[in-house]
This record gives sequence, C-alpha cells and structure tokens, in this order.
Amino acid sequence: MSSFLPSWIRTMFRVFWAMPLVTKLCTFWLTTIILAAIFADFIPKLADPSYQGFLFGTDVTNDGQSLHHWLGTDNNSRDILSRLIYGTRVSLTVAVTAVAFGTFFGGLLGSFVGYVRGRREAAIMASIDVILAFPALVLLLTVVTLLGKRNLLVISLVVGVLAIPYYARVSRANALAVSRREFVAAARAIGTKDRTILWREVIPNVMPTVLAFALVSAAVTVVLEGTLAFLGLSVQPPTPSWGVMINAARADLRINIWPVIWPSLMLVFTVYSLNNVGDWFRIRTAHKTAAL
Amino acid sequence: MNMTLRKRGTGMRLTAVLLAAVMVATACGSDSDDTSPSATTVATETTAAPEAPETTTAPTTEAPATTATPTTTTEAPPVGPAQGGDASVGLEAEAPGLRPWEDTCSSPCYNMMAAVFDKLFEQYADGSYGAFLAESISANDDFTVWTMNLRPDVVFHDGSELTAQTIVDMFVVHQTGAQSAGVIASSKLINVEATGDLEVTYTLSGTNAIFVANLSRAPIGMVFAPSTGADEDAVTAAANAPIGTGPFMVDSRDVDNKTVMVRNPNYWMSDSFGTQLPYLDSVTFHPIPDEGTRLSSLASGTVTAMQSLRQASIRDARDTEGLWLFEHQGNNTGGGMFNVTVAPYDDARVRKGLITMSNQAATIEALGGEGISLPTTQLFASESPFYSEAIAAAYPTHDMAAGSALVQEYIDDPDRSDGLAVGEKISVTLSCPPDPTLIAAMQVSQVLWEASGLVDVELTGFDQATHIGMAVGAADGTFIGTHDIHCWRWGSEDDPAAGMLSGFGDPFDPSGAGALNFSNWYDEEAYGYVVEATLTDDVAERAALYEKFGLIMVEAMPIYFSGGTATVIATAEGLGGLDSWEMPDGEAGIGHPSAEGRWSQAYWAAE
Repeated sequence: MSSFLPSWIRTMFRVFWAMPLVTKLCTFWLTTIILAAIFADFIPKLADPSYQGFLFGTDVTNDGQSLHHWLGTDNNSRDILSRLIYGTRVSLTVAVTAVAFGTFFGGLLGSFVGYVRGRREAAIMASIDVILAFPALVLLLTVVTLLGKRNLLVISLVVGVLAIPYYARVSRANALAVSRREFVAAARAIGTKDRTILWREVIPNVMPTVLAFALVSAAVTVVLEGTLAFLGLSVQPPTPSWGVMINAARADLRINIWPVIWPSLMLVFTVYSLNNVGDWFRIRTAHKTAAL
Repeated sequence: MNMTLRKRGTGMRLTAVLLAAVMVATACGSDSDDTSPSATTVATETTAAPEAPETTTAPTTEAPATTATPTTTTEAPPVGPAQGGDASVGLEAEAPGLRPWEDTCSSPCYNMMAAVFDKLFEQYADGSYGAFLAESISANDDFTVWTMNLRPDVVFHDGSELTAQTIVDMFVVHQTGAQSAGVIASSKLINVEATGDLEVTYTLSGTNAIFVANLSRAPIGMVFAPSTGADEDAVTAAANAPIGTGPFMVDSRDVDNKTVMVRNPNYWMSDSFGTQLPYLDSVTFHPIPDEGTRLSSLASGTVTAMQSLRQASIRDARDTEGLWLFEHQGNNTGGGMFNVTVAPYDDARVRKGLITMSNQAATIEALGGEGISLPTTQLFASESPFYSEAIAAAYPTHDMAAGSALVQEYIDDPDRSDGLAVGEKISVTLSCPPDPTLIAAMQVSQVLWEASGLVDVELTGFDQATHIGMAVGAADGTFIGTHDIHCWRWGSEDDPAAGMLSGFGDPFDPSGAGALNFSNWYDEEAYGYVVEATLTDDVAERAALYEKFGLIMVEAMPIYFSGGTATVIATAEGLGGLDSWEMPDGEAGIGHPSAEGRWSQAYWAAE
C-alpha cells in the first residue's frame, strides 16, 4: 500500500497498526458508524427511517428480526436498522458540535487565562466556576425549554456552548504548566510578544491534552443527547436519535425489548469506543509532551 | 318525583355474590404458566376503548346516565370484610390541589378527593343517580325548584356538623370557584336556601330536569366544611389540607411525593354487615407519572395499587402475575380537537379532511390498544342509551382520497382563511403530552396527512399541565387558548347534560356559559338541542336531541375520536372492593370508571 497512497494516509495506517487490539476495534467501530451516518442516503435498500409500513399494509409493528428488517421494526413498524443509522447522525452531530465549540472557544479561553494570569484570569475563571456550579443537566433542560425550538441545530449549539467551561478549565490547567516551561521563559527573555508566545508555544502544547479530553467528553455528550432525547427534549419526532428510540420503545418494553436493546448497544459501543480511543490518545500525547 | 332510592331483590345480590365467588375461584385456582390470575379474571370484558391523547382534564363532555358497563373482575365476595390494613396507590399525576370547587382535576386527583369528600349523590352501577350524603331530593313540575334532605348525624373531620346551612355556605364559595362557577351557570342554579335543619332548597333560573347530575359531580357535589370558606387563607390552605365528611382524613401531604390519609373514626357509613367504613386504616397516594415505573412499583410491592388510563399499561398489567385488575370501559374516549378560531382549522373542510385521512385502527395499534379498545365515533359508548347509530354511520372512516379532496378544495380556494396562496400546502401543528404511546399515535397522523402531499405537519409535546393550560380559555371569553390540534379525552359516565352545556356553549359568552368549550366551536342550532335536552328527563327524547346535535357536530368536526379509553386500577392480590362498593341503600355503586376508585370500601381479603 505504500507508494500509491498519500503520506498522511500511510501515517494513519501506521498509527492504527500501532494501537492495541481493543483500540483498533474501537477505532474501526467509530469509523464505521461515522461513515454510515454520512453516507446513509446512499446505502442501497436502506429503508426510509420514517416509513410506517403498517399504514400501507406492507409491514407490522414490533416485528422481530427478518431478512427484510434485519433488526426488526418498532411500534410504528419502522425499520430499526435504518433509524439506528440515521439516529447516529443526531448523536454524532451533537457530539462533534460540542467538541468543536469546546475545543475552539474553551481551549482558547483557557489557554489565554492560564498564560496571562492576574485579574483577567480571576474574573473569567470565577464566571466559569459559577456556570459549572449549576448541575449541567438542569441547566441544559432549562435552556432547551426556554428556547422552545428543539431541532438538531438548537440542541447542538446549546450543548456546544455549555461544553465551553469544561474545556476552558482543562486547557487553563495545562496552560499554567506550559507557561512555566523553559521554552516559554526563554521566549519571554528574548522579548517575544505575549500574543506570539500564546499562539506559537502555549496553545500548540495545550491542544493535545484538550483533544484527548474532547474524545472523552464526546462520549459524555453522546450520553447527554440520549438523556435529553429520553426526556423528550432533544430532536422532535419523527427524527430518529438513539435516545428518542429508547424513549419511544419503553412503552412496549414488555412485549418487544429489541427496539430498546439496539440503540442502547449503539450507545454503549460508541461511548466505550470514544473513551478507549480518548485514553489511548491521552497516553500517547502525554508521552510526547514529556519528551519536550 | 323522587330520584332516590330503588330496591333490587336479594336474588340479584345472591347471584352477584356467587358470580364473584366463581371469579375468585378462577383467579386463585390456576397458577399455571399460561393463565395468570390477572389474565383470567380480567378477560371478562375488555373491549373497546382506546386512547388517544391523553389529557384528561375535566372532561368536557359527559356521558349518560345509564350506562356504565363496569367491567371487570376479581374480587372476593363481600362477606363482611374486616377492618385493617393499609393501601398505597400509585397515581399517574399529582393533584394540583384538593379543592373540588377550585382545582382542575382529573382521574388521579379524583381518587384522592373521593377519599376525603363525600358527594351529595352518587351513581348506581347502571349509571342512574342515588342519594349518598343527601337522603332524598324532589323537584317541582317544571324542574326549577329542587328540595333536598341531608343525611342526619354526619360530622366533618374537624368535628363540625353537616347541616343545611353548610350547603348554603358552600354556595357562596362555589360562585367564585374556578371549577364550580361554570357548573352553577350551566345548571342554571341561582339560589340555595336552608329551609330546615337538614332541608335545602335549590332554585334554578330555568328548567333543568337533570339537576341531580350536577350534585354528583365534584365541583358542586362534594361537600366541604364551612370553615373552609371562612377567609382567603382558609380557602388556600384547603388545597393541601381539605376538610370533608369522607372516609379518610388527610394526615400529611408532601406534594409530588405522597399524601397520607388515615381512617376517619367518625365516618357515618357502615356496610351492609354493620361494619363501620372505611375498612382500611390508611391509604397513601403517590404520584408516579411514568407508566412503566408505576406498574413496576406495583409488581415489586413498592405500592399496593395503581391506576392507569393507558392501553399499553393495561396490556402489560394483564401479563403481570399476582395482580387483581379492575378494568372499565365506558363513555370516555380518546381523540382530540381543533381550535376552530385558528386558521386553517377554522374551515370545516380542513378539519374533516384531516380526520378522513386518519386511521383509527392504526392509531389504536400505535397506542398499544390493539385488542383492548375499539374505534369510537361519538361521546357515548355503544352501551349508552344516548348512543346513536346515525352518528356512527356519519363519522368519517379512513379514506385518503376523500380526505385529500376536502383539503385540496380548501387549498384551491382563493379565499382560504390561512392567507396563503392558492395551491400552497397547509401547515398544521399536532400536540400531545410526551408519552411514548401518544408520540407514536401522533406520528401515525403525521405520516398519513403528509402522504397526501397537501399538509406539512409539525409535532409538539408539552407536559400535561401545560397541555391542558394551552387549551383552557378564560371564563369571560377573553382568551380562547393557544392550541392548534390538541390531543384530548372526551366523555364520562356522568349525565351528559351538564358537561355538554358548558362544553359546547358559546366560548365568547362573558357569562362563562362556554368556559369549557375547548375547541371553541359553537353552533347555535346544535347548542339549542343540548339546551332542549335539559328540559326533560325522558331518556328517549333526550337521546333524539343528542343525536341531532351529534350529526351537526360530525359535519363540523371540531373534535374527533380515536377509540374508547380502557382504564384499570390494578392491585396487589388480595386488595379488593373497588368494583363492589355499595351505596348507602346497599345497592351496587358505579364501580371505578376512569380508574377512579372509591377507597372507602376497599379491603384486604382474608387469606
């Protein structure tokens, strides 16, 4: 595979190959569901996730696994596999948005205050502590309820904004340590501007840790979206998400447990995979930082 | 005319006892895997009913006086149950307050109120009315003056005595009560006078042949202590510490957690064997909103009883061993309504088109009611004397082409009321409380309506209190709700007169005559039939008038139906008495319609 592929792909393969077996499997799982979510519209014979065949005489509700419906149907006779795949879009969109918001805004903010210190740090961190003092779920429920609209964009943005303080804390802690390193002191000694030191020395050294944290917090976000959906506060029906599916199926739990099992397994595998890959990444980047 | 007492022969009672014994034997006799006790017993009669939206509320409409069809069940024969034991009941919601005249109440709340308060009149098993806290009532020839005699030697929980003056004092409070004021207006009640120590005279502004029905409903039928209305503080305090004459007294109330009620040692009523009621030492009510959790709480012994109006819960309860099920299906039905003051629902073509596209059987299946509830077409169940075959025939059946044609006609109308251009799709919003089965049912409607290519559907959901609040207008007609298409329940076992008067009156009438008209649909001719039906107590004549009303309503389609509401009170094995409670004259009471239990006569069967 070597010479035909671009170097970055070869690097990725090398990294993948160096992973422990479990981490390989986790990475494979995450890659698969991300690709499935992105290309769901092009998967041949994948049913419309909102199609209720029982209304048109083609399917039955709460059907078991079959060749036609590999994972069975739900209480509205919709194809569970299709809804799982399309539901991945919601879970991952919320997770990616939260990670992006957190990493970018939280990472920058934390790095900044960790480097500049002083009153600005005290003021910003005090504000962040106040936000963090509220139970996250309660704050989230309040914001979502007040906004009224509950589509994917709103949910993603709300979760993303609420993620910022957590990232800010992590990046500040790392920025504090990095700011005391010799190369930062050296840069100061030769009269380098603070802005340059921040962008060239501090942030690049803080980001690996923030990214490792992002992978772990993405797992938390996936669960959070599921919780919101279970409470009826995530995307509105008929848009599928794993939490929405679990919530919808609980009324029929005693007669058909599969519509709860499948999305729950998706949640478990995805959260475990994100945690596992996040841990691996953290260990790997921690080693590199120390090597500096 | 004396509306009170009727006697049935002892043969009937003996038959009932024997039947009950057979049922108990059946229930207890089989432990095999294929027939759980509950499954066996319940089967009696589980037909029809449905579910639909959920809401509940003070049901607008109402149902007949003679119907009921208590279904069910299990039960040990009433061979002199002994006093003792406790019950803890899982309710589907917390009561917002325990003031019958003031607080918006539905099934869970009425379970609690009925334990604290007695009504002046109650319903027999056949739906007719009999004296309870009252002893008798009679009317003049044109039904404008009613004279009622109260039962003697009845005392309230605070030790005060029930007298005619109590009823007069209650009337003062009733006139400003959020629930009672509308009932007073629709029943035409203008004056209450104490004409003796225990004799009360009600004067009406016009003929109302079924006035007694009003005295059997919570808002003005439940009797509370005179001290309750002493001042504003007392009225407020009564929300959580009510004082009635009922079988239980509120011992403690921790809102959203539990309300503990203990036996009223001075309760006036005894059973036919001379045992003073209630049998139970205490009953505790726990709000457990989640259906699955409530049933699991019962199955695990956390509570000893639960109530539900959800078909899926009934289905699951039937499959749970070790329970006694008290099921009921009557006039209450699921469905919904259009706010006819909002475009495009202000056009009957849209309303009827959407309902014609709907599929009742599929909706019921999504609600988990397949095999439990049947499609409904009107406010009355088929066993009701007011049921109309003509209305049933006129109610739209699922027909996509016909429904689409009606909506298309609206869309192509240059004068369409929503202001959009000719040919543009209509946009509708359908809302139900966020129960999984209701969400599933909403999605059935959404798919069918959108399949026409003529409708964009948005689904929303709010908690039950908000859902109800959106549809409840102001009594003076200045606010008519913020809802669009709203899930709702309709009908009850009460006489339809009172409910229909306020449920279909003019919503803009400042007198509050249409305060409970949630759809805001008012048709002068149709309402005239409802009014006319209060002028006679002849059931056949009234049925004909309600049929005329119903046929006009089906054409206008302001409200719609999915299927009758099957309800259940499920108890731990041994806790019975809910379907065999008796009136003071020893006749059988109406049982447990809408999962409203009379806990005064519940008892633990001896092992």
